Amino acid sequence: MNTQLKRREVLAGMAGGAALLSSPAVLRAAGNETIKMGTFFSLTGPASLFGPTQTACTALAVDQINAMGGILGKQVEIVAGDGGLSPAEAAQAAIRMTLQDKVDFIVGSHNSAVRQSIIAAIKGRVPYVYTPLYEGGECAPNTYVTADTPQQQVKPALNSLNEMYGTQKVYLIGNDYVWPQKLNERAKEYIAAFGGEIVGEEYAPLGPGNKFDDAVTRIRAAAPDLVFISLVGGDNVNFNRSFAGFGLDSSIRRLSVLLEELTLFGIGAENSDGLFSSMSYFTAVESPENDAFKSQYTAKFGADGPPLSMLGADAYSGTHCAAALLNAAGSNDASAVMSASNGLSYTTATGTAVMTNRHVNKDIYLAECNGVAFDIVKSFKGVAHGETCSV
Amino acid sequence: MDGLLVAHGLNISFEIVVLALVSLGLAITLGLLGVLNLAHGEFVMIGAFSAFFVQSQGWPYLAAFPVAILACGAIGWPVEKFLIRPLYARPFDAILATWGLSLLLREMVEFFFGRGFNSVAQPIKGTVNILGADYPAFQIVVMLAAIALIATIVFWFLRSVTGRRIQAMVDNPDLAKAVGIPVDALARNTFVAGLCLAGISGVLLAPIVAVHPSMGIDYVLKSFFVLVVGGLGHILGLVIGSGVIGGAEATVSAIIDRTSGYSFVLILSLLFLWRRPNGLVAR
Repeated sequence: MNTQLKRREVLAGMAGGAALLSSPAVLRAAGNETIKMGTFFSLTGPASLFGPTQTACTALAVDQINAMGGILGKQVEIVAGDGGLSPAEAAQAAIRMTLQDKVDFIVGSHNSAVRQSIIAAIKGRVPYVYTPLYEGGECAPNTYVTADTPQQQVKPALNSLNEMYGTQKVYLIGNDYVWPQKLNERAKEYIAAFGGEIVGEEYAPLGPGNKFDDAVTRIRAAAPDLVFISLVGGDNVNFNRSFAGFGLDSSIRRLSVLLEELTLFGIGAENSDGLFSSMSYFTAVESPENDAFKSQYTAKFGADGPPLSMLGADAYSGTHCAAALLNAAGSNDASAVMSASNGLSYTTATGTAVMTNRHVNKDIYLAECNGVAFDIVKSFKGVAHGETCSV
Repeated sequence: MDGLLVAHGLNISFEIVVLALVSLGLAITLGLLGVLNLAHGEFVMIGAFSAFFVQSQGWPYLAAFPVAILACGAIGWPVEKFLIRPLYARPFDAILATWGLSLLLREMVEFFFGRGFNSVAQPIKGTVNILGADYPAFQIVVMLAAIALIATIVFWFLRSVTGRRIQAMVDNPDLAKAVGIPVDALARNTFVAGLCLAGISGVLLAPIVAVHPSMGIDYVLKSFFVLVVGGLGHILGLVIGSGVIGGAEATVSAIIDRTSGYSFVLILSLLFLWRRPNGLVAR
């Protein structure tokens, strides 16, 4: 059974690749009968373990949209691009997608460096919906962000941990690129606001897997109450394993801001004591809407489909957001979509969301790791995104 | 403060020893056979997945060593026969071929185990206090095991008849053949042994790191740097190369940060390739 599950993931990935290769021919044959949705998901590269759930969740959303009449009366067709490319390659792919494949809109889930290069490449020609949690501040024209912002993801979590456990002294560790650096700037403001103190800050290069024995040794010497972690993927796994291996898990709490089901599985049950995560989606969220979403997902992909996680649920919501945007605007014209976006409501994995200033107010959950599962310890209802993009 | 110095000292030692351990297999295939095996890291990965497999079957951790050796041997044998043997005299083609092999192995493991991260529980839990520094007990065991393994291999290579024959084969294959040394079989066994050592290092590392199909890339690059700096001439090169690369990275990382440590290693390797391409211990 285990083998089958993995085989399915691989097949999903292969199907994505095949769709990519064959798409131009398919599109020509289809003519104007369909509306084309470009996607940038992590098919390759360090984040590629998120690719299968992103692809699957988007397929589920597209099925639902098509069943309800599609977008602007047309059936949705996916043109799959790779968000795991380097920023320069992703820019080229985005140009090909808009000029050659003539996609009508783009949905992307990838890192912030790639987002910046895609925005520079497509220059607002088509609506672009960005779905994974990010550092905030993205107001490029015709760009719509369904992601968690720092004010949503980081502020309530830091405040609650401070209230619950008195975590005043905080050590910051992240990968060395735009998201962790900008996120930490915001985190420092929130920590200063409750009178906390930063006792250390460091960054590890993104790319090759890092060892963190030296960082853990520095953290022990700095004696923080909380380590604020913005490491990604394998580095997040390695750091947390070293942290617990050195025995720091019994005395120092950790808050990781990109920690979902797949990464936690790598960290392992014996290394997750005192580890927290804060996001707008966990599979463990108990609500009728999430139950419905999970059962629809299982109905489509079976019990052994790609494991569901936050990045997939975000892609699902982002796809529904894109459909609602175009349907409300009556076209994919930039100014029409921009003005339709304010106050737009759309389906998400956990209910309905409303877009304002091209960002989304949403419910946020603080979860504590319990082995390789998440226990939701606090829910924050309708947290304001705090972004001020014009519309 | 003393405890902190000891802790950093232990970290640096661990980094050096692990690097030497992971590079040992590559030192054998590259140093003795002249094959730059870009799939080296994938055999480390297969070793790590052997540990994961053994754990998922509920078997004891030590069972992972024979499983890894069997797996690496079973893959290495045909690979040597059909892929590497025709390319011994064509090192650049061998690089391409082993690069292709690395992709194939990664995809194969992904097919059976999936793309995600896996966790191997540490067989020895907890920390020990060494001169005021709390250090993971299992990492001490890994260090000791690695040193013992390297010492055994070196001693065997220098003292055994087979070791002598390998040296003869490396010095002059034709002459070795003429005096009755079965060069083909010897080269095959040497190659497979190098891969099995990579697998063993994977088993030792699995409980410490993230186990996933792409993990091999992390190891092949640094092993290559070790051999660039150390040179291929002598087993001492491996030890010195690991000391320089691992020590430099760990020390700079401890003083400044990881980004500086990694940059320093890249610059060091470039300088060596440029000014001293045969490394510190030339053949």
